Amino acid sequence: MLLAGGQGSRLAPLTENVAKPAVPFGGRYRIIDFSLSNCVNSGIDTVGVLTQYQPLELNDYLGTGDPWDLDLNYGGLHVLPPYQAAKGGDWFKGTANAIYQNKKFISNYDPDYIVVLSGDHIYKMNYDIMLQEHIDNGADCTIAVMDVPLEEASRFGIMSTDETGRITEFAEKPAHPKSTLASMGVYVFSTDKLFKYLEEDEQNPDSENDFGKNVIPLMLAGGEKLHAYLYKGYWRDVGTLSSYWSANMDTLGDDPVLWLNDDGWRIYYRHDFQYPTYLGEHASLHNCNCAAGNEIDGQVCDSVLGSNITIEEGAVVKDCVIMNNVVIEKGASVEYAIIDRDVRICAGAKVGGDKEQTELTVIAAGTTVEK
Amino acid sequence: MNMLGLIFADEHDADVNELTAKRTFAAVPFGARYRIIDFFISNMTNSGIRNIGVVATTKYESLMGHVRYGGEWDLHRRKSGLSVLPPFSFSGGEVRYENVLEALQANIYYIKQATEPYVLFTCCNAIGNIDYADMLDYHIKSGARFTCLCTKNPRNKKDGVPTTEYKLDADNRITDIIIREEVTPDAYLGVNAYIMGREDLLELLEDSVEHELVSLRKDILVPMLKDSKVMAYVTDETLLFIDTISSYLESNLDLLDADIRKELFGQELRPIITRAGNSSPAFYGEDSDAANSMIAAGSTIEGTVRNSIIFRGVHIKKGAVVENCVINQDCTIGEGAVLNYAVLDKNVVIHDKRLLSGYITHPFYVKKGSVI
Repeated sequence: MLLAGGQGSRLAPLTENVAKPAVPFGGRYRIIDFSLSNCVNSGIDTVGVLTQYQPLELNDYLGTGDPWDLDLNYGGLHVLPPYQAAKGGDWFKGTANAIYQNKKFISNYDPDYIVVLSGDHIYKMNYDIMLQEHIDNGADCTIAVMDVPLEEASRFGIMSTDETGRITEFAEKPAHPKSTLASMGVYVFSTDKLFKYLEEDEQNPDSENDFGKNVIPLMLAGGEKLHAYLYKGYWRDVGTLSSYWSANMDTLGDDPVLWLNDDGWRIYYRHDFQYPTYLGEHASLHNCNCAAGNEIDGQVCDSVLGSNITIEEGAVVKDCVIMNNVVIEKGASVEYAIIDRDVRICAGAKVGGDKEQTELTVIAAGTTVEK
Repeated sequence: MNMLGLIFADEHDADVNELTAKRTFAAVPFGARYRIIDFFISNMTNSGIRNIGVVATTKYESLMGHVRYGGEWDLHRRKSGLSVLPPFSFSGGEVRYENVLEALQANIYYIKQATEPYVLFTCCNAIGNIDYADMLDYHIKSGARFTCLCTKNPRNKKDGVPTTEYKLDADNRITDIIIREEVTPDAYLGVNAYIMGREDLLELLEDSVEHELVSLRKDILVPMLKDSKVMAYVTDETLLFIDTISSYLESNLDLLDADIRKELFGQELRPIITRAGNSSPAFYGEDSDAANSMIAAGSTIEGTVRNSIIFRGVHIKKGAVVENCVINQDCTIGEGAVLNYAVLDKNVVIHDKRLLSGYITHPFYVKKGSVI
């Protein structure tokens, strides 16, 4: 069950018209591609995607699930929006309520275990290994955690565990964290226990119906067996513009921390059909990722480029994330910036500046930047 | 659209044995991420054709693997859609066919069961962005019995391979068809693409079987010129010929020309679609130096690239210099290797410091899977 309904307001203006999971990433991908590809690469063939905020583009993007081979007759990808029922209907009140409202979908497939994920994290993770550990531990719930620096710990849900990895205490964004094991928002539940506690949580009118804030503490209080699964790979919550920018930069370099060209763990995405990129006589690209359909005649370095981008002769691009359908005209300079889709940067215009000396610049979709 | 499309995947009037050693002509890779057939299927679907048969006689594994059910072109339909027609699709035991007429004869049943009143049938000799709907309009409006696609500007057509030359009267009616091995300047050159009424074609085919006719041009078209209206549809679009290994290199390198690129790929509502891989973006390293080149996704460029076409998944290592080349999918060019006018088929490995050089008229061809 993939939670994809969040607004991602801290990513504004990138999320003004699209749900955060549908925000482009890494030149060719959308953020949700990572969780979805993790699912299929882990052997999960039935995925419910819970949508709520600005679902149009996300729904279009997901389609029948064919890019992830999830267009199946049995199972496959199901988009699960909020709905009206005989007794009225409601928006998803929280992450737990979103799953609660879709109990029927889950029951149709009658799984023993459920993986609950967030559609807005960038990482490559094999959920099957985590599930195996959940089974081996005889746990009721397993929460993926990673070791974070102590000074960052208060941004996360923090776990304290005993020597067997069993969770003894859970604190959501604690002011004084007792441990550095942070929840990644990836849960494996045994279905019967999940349903029991979702029901209990629903009965509490004061609950925010949130996994981290309500359901996990409730299960701990109920004496259930909760385990932490320590994940040591790459994981980023691209919740802010600067973390979004950094995660994009993580795809660069000769030995990138986030390797996209990994045959052993492909990240699948929906294609838009573009012809291959053409580099002009004056082009120079250094340490760049560059997708298809681009006509590049300027100088680009340390940047991630999407598709259908024109960078004219004499234009200089450095430390940027540039999304699709962008034109950067002659002599323009763009530095340390995120350029959203359908932007034109006119000849001679200057956007952003040296990354050591200026703040990150973000140009919203559809903008024309004059000189 | 009331037209059935038939594509003949094998080579006709071409001499590219190197490229077709392990694959049928239509499956030859082109333009950094395509195969030749992509242009024909895309032109057909862009023209509104929804029923397409691809006739293949041998070496069709990579072709079938590429087009599959035509999903990329939205041709995986309950009704009509795309069918690959291997030999003996409707009968068994006869000798496999060698030319267009025999290919049509072998697939009479397929043409019969279609319902479209017109049939477009084409070989894959020349690549372009052609509007077949306009060609059909022309066929209907001119009252033609047979309409042949031709061009006055054949790019990279080479002497030494058979060329179909049409003589036209003032109304573009074909008065004579000449086959020669030299390219005559300013002549109208046919590209083996034709439109005909389906019922009429079926009658012709049945008659040709009964009379053991063997050549579409010689036995059917030429005798028809006198009494029937055989029209030439002269296209203004650029047509890139692929009939020898040097024209393969030249036609690929033509994509570096902005106008040709725009004509081929930039036409509104006429995109060229291909089977989606799942490549990551191309990565350009710190020392990369690439200019005037077409470079597909999924490649890693750390060396120097000039005037070249680089397919998906190619790795050009540090210090390597690649100029005037076509480097097919998943090749690796070692450090310090120097390549000039080379055509590398898929999965070639060039070790460090190797020097390979051909010339535009005689490209250095390296076959699939070679290690140098």
